[in-house]
Amino acid sequence: MSGAVHSALRLKQRRDWASFMDPSDRALAFWLLAPTAILLLLIIVYPVGRLVWTSLHNLSLTSGLPAEFVGLENFEIMLDDPIFWAALWNTVLITIITVPGALLVGLGLALLANLPFRYRWPVRLSLLVPWALPLSFVGLIFAWFFQSQYGVVNDILMRFGLPRIIWFNSPEWSFTAICLAIIWKTSSFVGLILLAGLQTIPRSLYEAADVDGAGRLRQFFEITLPLLKPAIVVALIFRTITALQTFDIPYTMTRGGPGTSTATLAMYIHQNTVSFLDLGYGSALAVAMFVLSMGVTVIYLRMMGKGH
Amino acid sequence: MASVKLEGIRKSYGAVEVVKGIDLEVADKELVVLVGPSGCGKSTTLRMIAGLESITAGTLTIGDRTVNGLPPRERDIAMVFQDYALYPHKTVYENMAFGLKVRNHPRHEIDSRVKQAAETLGIAHLLDRKPSQLSGGQRQRVAMGRAIVRRPQVFLFDEPLSNLDAKLRGQVRTEIKKLHQDIAATIIYVTHDQVEAMTLADRIVVMRNGEIEQLGTPDDVYNTPATMFVASFIGAPAMNFLSATVSGGHARLAEGGRVPLGALAAILSDGDKVKVGIRPEHFLEESNGDCTVTGTVQVVEPLGADTLVHFTVGGETMTARVAAQTRPAPGTRVTLGCDPARIHIFDPVSERAYRPQAAQERHGSMAVEA
Repeated sequence: MSGAVHSALRLKQRRDWASFMDPSDRALAFWLLAPTAILLLLIIVYPVGRLVWTSLHNLSLTSGLPAEFVGLENFEIMLDDPIFWAALWNTVLITIITVPGALLVGLGLALLANLPFRYRWPVRLSLLVPWALPLSFVGLIFAWFFQSQYGVVNDILMRFGLPRIIWFNSPEWSFTAICLAIIWKTSSFVGLILLAGLQTIPRSLYEAADVDGAGRLRQFFEITLPLLKPAIVVALIFRTITALQTFDIPYTMTRGGPGTSTATLAMYIHQNTVSFLDLGYGSALAVAMFVLSMGVTVIYLRMMGKGH
Repeated sequence: MASVKLEGIRKSYGAVEVVKGIDLEVADKELVVLVGPSGCGKSTTLRMIAGLESITAGTLTIGDRTVNGLPPRERDIAMVFQDYALYPHKTVYENMAFGLKVRNHPRHEIDSRVKQAAETLGIAHLLDRKPSQLSGGQRQRVAMGRAIVRRPQVFLFDEPLSNLDAKLRGQVRTEIKKLHQDIAATIIYVTHDQVEAMTLADRIVVMRNGEIEQLGTPDDVYNTPATMFVASFIGAPAMNFLSATVSGGHARLAEGGRVPLGALAAILSDGDKVKVGIRPEHFLEESNGDCTVTGTVQVVEPLGADTLVHFTVGGETMTARVAAQTRPAPGTRVTLGCDPARIHIFDPVSERAYRPQAAQERHGSMAVEA
């Protein structure tokens, strides 16, 4: 049976290849693919290439001098730059804290939204709202929440008899506030992906487990979690890549302060290119971030490949 | 093993009542089949026995325990699902062992039980595979294996063969019957397929609209159907029904046919309207004088072993199963006979079967009471 299927498949592949080699079909394929290829060249390959090229130049708009090719000099400066290392560390720390954080909260939200509510739409809507809000808007809301005089967080702390915290004066508390805001904002997106994953698990599996004698906790670890793995990996990839690019929330909440304690790589790139107009160095930093994102993506895709 | 007793079992979803008071006693080691068209409440009844649906009213007893409020895991039942419900990420071995592992059976016992069940079902070579690597028939066996290893008091089967192709269905059906003989288990089996019901059951429960229409052995429901519904549901091709009028100890058909009423003549009077039921296989090719059915041939279907002749009698379509070599031409008139002992007479209004006095006593309330 499967042998026959295999040989039929091989035959089909051979026929596909033969038709691909047919000159008229090749021309057709070329013209059909050309618009997409040109579009990708224009919006991805050209900007990335231009970025790498700029990173190899000394190009500062404040100096008034023309661009000068300096090779890897910008990268050498970067490796000696303590702010770069601080921003990189903050970025990695935000990723390490907020990605698992959002995954846990998102999983909880997805399990909640998957319960058989009589009316599902209010639950789904409340899951969607944080995801739909603009990032900078969330930053401003949370800056208000954590405001030391009038913020709701301090109000709650004091009602429980705890001391008031001046959140944005301390590097640790600032960082904590930012991470909480990011987790709140991003867990709904993770929740949506995991909810979609949960809904692909047939109900009869839980019924079989009920009959087999497994309790709710056991069902979660033996059925839900293993079958949710593909959705978890997808959520992790998306969430990690966006975490590495974190900008809006710390920018609107703390501007990277106090000092550089909450500055991220994306903010440092923004500062160099937009505020200091140092396009050469800014591009070198951007190339570093690009390499970091690509590296993480490759690792996840490898993991996913092994899962299959 | 244990008996199962349903007393006045009801199920409602809001205002809609889908199971309307089922009384049924399944004896220890008995195989009872619930059969009926989709929506008749048979699967809901089974799921209530399993504990997967709550019971709106009535009492459910397994062995000597009332289990109404107990969750599935405390009812000591095993279930084979229509879609098999195998855990896709677990191997066949792990699927079968799961129920025992959850109940903390020692490892060597799990191992020996799984391997023994796998041997019985002929799936010992598949233990390391995942369900996705199995054929439909193999998955079905794994689902049965998962039930068997548990050694529960009662096995529940929910349309277990409906996802298999016709040939495999026949094969697995035989295996289930053999399995029942080997392990002598109490089994409640749900199907919409009357052939499965007839071949497997010790007793058949024919359900319709959430109620039991008839309960009896396969021979009972085939030979003495209580209603026109049961008569048409059990047996393939279905029983033929003809409108007739009682006259002089016979039911007079259209186009000059007639059927003797026998003992029923005593309880029917001239002019009564009745429905005459004749199974396709109970027509005789020669009219025996007393029983004749005349009609016009429409279509002839040779099946090899025999031939189906579809013909019309006064506008009503009939089917007769005749000898293989009998091939009347379409459009011709045929006159067939019938065995008077295998004629069924129904009340056209209540659709219930008339029974001679003696038979009525024997078959009890089913035949006459509404």
